Amino acid sequence: MMLSMRSLSRHEIVKLQDDRLRELVKRVYESSPFYRKRFDGAKIKPEDIRSKKDLAKVPFTIKEDLRDNYPLGMLAVERSKIVRMHASSGTTGNPTVVAYTKKDIEAWAELNARCLETCGVSSNDVVQVSYGYGLFTGGLGLHYGAEHMGAKVIPASTGNTKRQIKLMKDLGTTVICCTPSYALFLAESAKEEGIDPKRHLKLKAGVFGAEPWSETTRKVLEETFVESAYDIYGMSELNGPGVAIECKAKDGLHVWEDNYIVEIIDPNTGEVLENGEKGEMVVTTINKEGMPLLRYRTRDITILNDDPCDCGMAHSRIKKILGRTDDMLKIRGICVFPSQIEEVLSSYDGVTPFYQLVVDREGSLDRLLIRVEISEDFKSDRLTDIVDLQKRLEDEIKEALSISASVELAEPKKLPRSEGKAQRIVDLRKI
Amino acid sequence: MRQFSIFLENKPGRLASLIDVLSKNGINVLAMGIAEAGNYGIVRCLLDNEERAMTALKEANMAMNLVDVLILELKDIKAIVKKLEANAVNIDYAYTMDGGKIVFKVNDVDKAKAVLNENGIKVLN
Repeated sequence: MMLSMRSLSRHEIVKLQDDRLRELVKRVYESSPFYRKRFDGAKIKPEDIRSKKDLAKVPFTIKEDLRDNYPLGMLAVERSKIVRMHASSGTTGNPTVVAYTKKDIEAWAELNARCLETCGVSSNDVVQVSYGYGLFTGGLGLHYGAEHMGAKVIPASTGNTKRQIKLMKDLGTTVICCTPSYALFLAESAKEEGIDPKRHLKLKAGVFGAEPWSETTRKVLEETFVESAYDIYGMSELNGPGVAIECKAKDGLHVWEDNYIVEIIDPNTGEVLENGEKGEMVVTTINKEGMPLLRYRTRDITILNDDPCDCGMAHSRIKKILGRTDDMLKIRGICVFPSQIEEVLSSYDGVTPFYQLVVDREGSLDRLLIRVEISEDFKSDRLTDIVDLQKRLEDEIKEALSISASVELAEPKKLPRSEGKAQRIVDLRKI
Repeated sequence: MRQFSIFLENKPGRLASLIDVLSKNGINVLAMGIAEAGNYGIVRCLLDNEERAMTALKEANMAMNLVDVLILELKDIKAIVKKLEANAVNIDYAYTMDGGKIVFKVNDVDKAKAVLNENGIKVLN
């Protein structure tokens, strides 16, 4: 089953998508009061949606819709069919709740198993899941996926870094699943414990997600921590992790298109863009029962590509997430993504991938300050070498972002570390 | 004896934390100079136990490096600068040391040593 869905042909995928889409719109129109109202409001009937290209007629679903219909107003099944509920942190107002039927949980597990398989994981592997367990979907999602394929699972969750490293060593972990920032932290902490992950651990694969990360972070992680680092994509509204995964070609993440239809839109106008154009990813869940979403705006910025991949899979690929429409910093009117800055910083040996962006406003002018740690391996007794490093970073960032920023060098290990998602942006502007 | 060059942020308490690391490990500072540029700087110093200092500073996650320097007698300074100039050796920076001594960082330490030896100028390290 798993293998056959991975190896669907382009033709089979397109047909399956259209079939499932037609079935979905019919189903939500009948059983979801929310979507019936939406369809009626937009004056569309389920039969108007025959294939993916008709999707543009359907209004978007946004995060606020989930909040406004808190807790379970978006269900498309009887409440009695729900077997699981997850909730987001809800820092402002109501959290967003997502609900799963038994079939949804099974499908989700299978998707995560497919992801792991795509990264070369097999039933012989020891998979340490160091994403948070609980309301956050990361931990349980990968856990079910690894279990589904018969691998050995260590449900380590986050935190207690020393114990994490001990478990990796003593239980022979071969696959680590966590956020990329936590992976960097684990690698660093292992070194402090006198453990060189590349020599003393057996990590053949790292499945890193829940926050955007760059090619250069991959380089660091593959040099210091795991043999091969893979990017996994997902969000709780779309089940959780397991929406898309990198294959060995590492040229984009394959979206499991038998479960998800992806569109890329202009975040400002809502207009659907051509393949190859950069924009916000919008996803329709065509295989979810409990709480399916139509044209859900993920706020993630990427590019869709349906060209054949070297790995042979026909599922379309999205580029590594370039940023989030909400993380997007507008500085002096220019859109800046932290990932662009990370890319520049990580190409320098003299600095570490740990950084912090501080945005401030002086009078009416925004100022961007980039604090970055100097590497412990930076070796010089000459101030001019350091001043030079700082200047070169500033020049290259200006080139990459089209705005100038000041770079401030910090001592090693002085910037805040996080065990979950990295807190890298400090916006001091009072707007 | 080589010189330690340690990167520190230029803000209150950073030098204190460096001195704290050294004193906790029983390491003495024999000479010290600071070069600063805005929000950071380099502390250059001679320490009495290179190996122990290296371990202690690494443990404290400090970015540092070791370079060869010359320790000379301050009373010889006139002859030193003249001879180095005559042999095209550049002095990058210098700072004084207790006991009438001076620490020189030059662009070619082997050549400088040879020149000073030839001219009977004492190199103390």
